[in-house]
Amino acid sequence: MLAYLSTSRTILARVEAGVGEPGPNGVHAAMLDLRNAWQDLSLNPGGTAARQQVLGRAETLAQALRMQVGNVTREEADQRVHANSLVSEIDTAASGLAALNHDILVTEQNGTDAGVLRDRRDQLALRLAELAGAVTTIEPDGQYTVAVGGTTLVQGKEAGALVVASGITPAGDADGSAISYRVDASWGSTVLPTGSAGPGGELGAVTEVLTTTLPAYRAGLDAVAADLAASVNAQQAAGYDASGAPGVPLFTYDPLVGAASLQVAITDPAQLAASSLPGGALDGGNADLLSRVGTYPDAYQRLVNGLGTEVAALERRTANQASLSGALDDAREQQAGVSLDEETVNMVAAQRAYEAAARLMTTLDEVLDTLINRTGLVGR
Amino acid sequence: MTIGRVTQRMLTEGSLANLQRNLGRMATLQEQLSSGRVINRPSDNPTGTTAAMRIRASVSDQTQYARNAQDGIGWLTQIDSTLDATTSTVRRARDLAIQGANTGALGQQARDALAVEVEGIREQLLGLANASYLERPVFGGVTAGGRAYDAGGNWVGVPGSVDRRVADGVVVQVDVDGRTVFGDGASSVFAELDALAAALRAGDTAAIGASIDVLRAREDTVTGARAVAGTRYQRIEQSGLAADDAKISLENSLSTIENADLAETTVHLKLQEVAYQAALAATARVMQPSLLDFLR
Repeated sequence: MLAYLSTSRTILARVEAGVGEPGPNGVHAAMLDLRNAWQDLSLNPGGTAARQQVLGRAETLAQALRMQVGNVTREEADQRVHANSLVSEIDTAASGLAALNHDILVTEQNGTDAGVLRDRRDQLALRLAELAGAVTTIEPDGQYTVAVGGTTLVQGKEAGALVVASGITPAGDADGSAISYRVDASWGSTVLPTGSAGPGGELGAVTEVLTTTLPAYRAGLDAVAADLAASVNAQQAAGYDASGAPGVPLFTYDPLVGAASLQVAITDPAQLAASSLPGGALDGGNADLLSRVGTYPDAYQRLVNGLGTEVAALERRTANQASLSGALDDAREQQAGVSLDEETVNMVAAQRAYEAAARLMTTLDEVLDTLINRTGLVGR
Repeated sequence: MTIGRVTQRMLTEGSLANLQRNLGRMATLQEQLSSGRVINRPSDNPTGTTAAMRIRASVSDQTQYARNAQDGIGWLTQIDSTLDATTSTVRRARDLAIQGANTGALGQQARDALAVEVEGIREQLLGLANASYLERPVFGGVTAGGRAYDAGGNWVGVPGSVDRRVADGVVVQVDVDGRTVFGDGASSVFAELDALAAALRAGDTAAIGASIDVLRAREDTVTGARAVAGTRYQRIEQSGLAADDAKISLENSLSTIENADLAETTVHLKLQEVAYQAALAATARVMQPSLLDFLR
């Protein structure tokens, strides 16, 4: 659980760091700047400088949105590679544990102590729990059985192979379908359930982030970009540009690609539809309206708030879980740990016992001495 | 917590975890102090982040409103001074007409001279009617051209009001339609002055008398337009001041939310430092002794 939480938190905190809010340089600031540029254009609809400024700020905003989506996409790509490497590490650990199961069985049948091997097996079981939330049960014969997502992965000396069933290609790309995992073993091939019943630990966190959190944030950004493009373009169409022609779309947006496709389509500043009157009059009415359209700043605020809340909640849960595991570790140490004092006292007690035994020897020696050397006065 | 049995490892790990936690708190405070901000990322305070973003939006709006108001004040100042000059110019024309009406004392030559001056006033008024602010004729509506009136006294502007948004939902018109001040074509002040000049040259007393009345009415029209523009000037000026005030108070609240209180954070950092040192010292003490050290 701790591995799950702290992995989720680390990933999302990285995404969050790329958001740059609240501050003067984020997407939100770019949105406000664009709105103000429209207002400035409405003050001076004839000026090329004001028009150029609108274009510049529209480009800045589109770029900022694309960059955020890029951050999320990159994080997703990283995490897919991460998932692949986790799966292979789990496989290595599982086969190692199965081999140890076998070694321990053989060694103990020979009557030799297998303590070192047991320690190594415990470590692997712990690692598997961290990596995949694996559950280890101890069989009556002392063998470990390990299950991931309710499916047996290691049984006796045999280990199944955990593989990515769908969602991620071996190269770490998305294949378009949902992510799922499968255990291939001699006792059959089982597709693991998804969600909370599936693998836990780091792998679970990575899967969860890849299937839910990051796509949701990306969809939020897509919605913001879509609203921006749609509302601005509609208002552009309602007005007239510097030459008196109806406004053409300012942004291009492809709903199939999402926010990454947001681009400024206009290169000629004269094409900005500042006027609400046909014929190229210098009324800035439409520029004023263009500064008021859309709900994208609000939507973006909610999106950032959602991300922040999620990271903050994960942080709290991680801290709670860490202190809980700390308490559990303490409890285990209380039971099984080595106390130097205890051992020293035992050692001293043993030493004293040894001294006492030694003293017995001296006494006995003296008794014999007396008997042998003092009692026979005959020869004197 | 009841501890049945304490082992060295428990102490080590417990101390290490506590030291980590202490150091983490110190790092947070350190970040706040060095960046000067309590919210460095959304998760530091999600609610505060939203509030900060909303306030930033308002600050940006108010700044813009203040700028819009400033621009509007520019327009209205130009209009006010132009209308002031217009009033005195029209009054001067009426004085000339009254002078010209005095047929007994004036010869035709003198009336001709008056007519020349009236024509001069007409040119002057034409210049005033074409007054511009930032290269836009303030009496020309939303025209893209540089003039509101052509030489013949015809209005060549494009109808439409020039508006400035100076607060949420408050839009103030900052131009004056030239036709409401100077008239247009045959009914313009220019035509009226032409008629006066012609009447003076012709020595037509009745026509001169009619011109006096017409010019008096024109004077009233100009004064009325000036009053309307003055009211707008006041509105826009007040809105501009309100926007400035709002901006300052919003920036204050933004600072309250986002910025770290230097004194408070420094004190907290110092406290945390003391706590950390105490934890270090305690750890050093706890880790050292074991029974072995005393059995020599």
